Amino acid sequence: MAERRSPDRRPSAASAVGVYVLVLVVLQIFLLTVALDGFHAYDAGLAWGAAAASVVLAASVAVLERLIGRR
Amino acid sequence: MSLDEPASRAPAWRRDFPVASEGEDEVTRREFVRYLMLGSGAFAAGTVAVAGLTSARGEPDAGERSIVALEDLRVEEPHLFHYPTGRDPAILLLRPDGDLVAYSQKCTHLGCVVFLDAEADELVCPCHEGGFSAATGDVVFGPPERPLPRITLEVREGTVWAVGMDYG
Repeated sequence: MAERRSPDRRPSAASAVGVYVLVLVVLQIFLLTVALDGFHAYDAGLAWGAAAASVVLAASVAVLERLIGRR
Repeated sequence: MSLDEPASRAPAWRRDFPVASEGEDEVTRREFVRYLMLGSGAFAAGTVAVAGLTSARGEPDAGERSIVALEDLRVEEPHLFHYPTGRDPAILLLRPDGDLVAYSQKCTHLGCVVFLDAEADELVCPCHEGGFSAATGDVVFGPPERPLPRITLEVREGTVWAVGMDYG
């Protein structure tokens, strides 16, 4: 027999934000490999582009973490 | 939620798996996101550090260096050497039409060493199956996005010299 979830067991916005944050962090891992690619190829422009994008993502993660903390 | 909870209020998974461990409730979703935030900051710092290192070291001064006597080269037999520094593997090829080409041997994907597949006339990276044209260094297949850096060659009195590097 299927169990009904009580209201406090439903997926919350915090869970959704957590998944979104996880995706952003995975993107940052990709950006780190891009920066290493630039390092191998002596391409500072590529490496700094990846670094800038990674910093923006880290700032986004920090904002989302604050939003969760206030709820 | 603990094992002391009345069975009627406990969720189904708790009744099916009535085992508790110390500290299993210690990480909440918010704490998990906080850990992710710390990891995110670390990744951003690491990426900035890699970019800084890339800028700081710049492109190596290639200089000029003799590689090998022209008469020692054979078609489909690559000559391996190092250029522009002693830590940069490179590959020199005598083409069937008599042209000489040389490339950095580091794959532009993640830096693995490429080798010559003479039958396919390609330089192949075994790590992630990337391939480059042996004639031009351009990407033929696989994950690399950029061609192999090409080494400028000159023949002086029967000897092949590397005189520069073109990173594309």
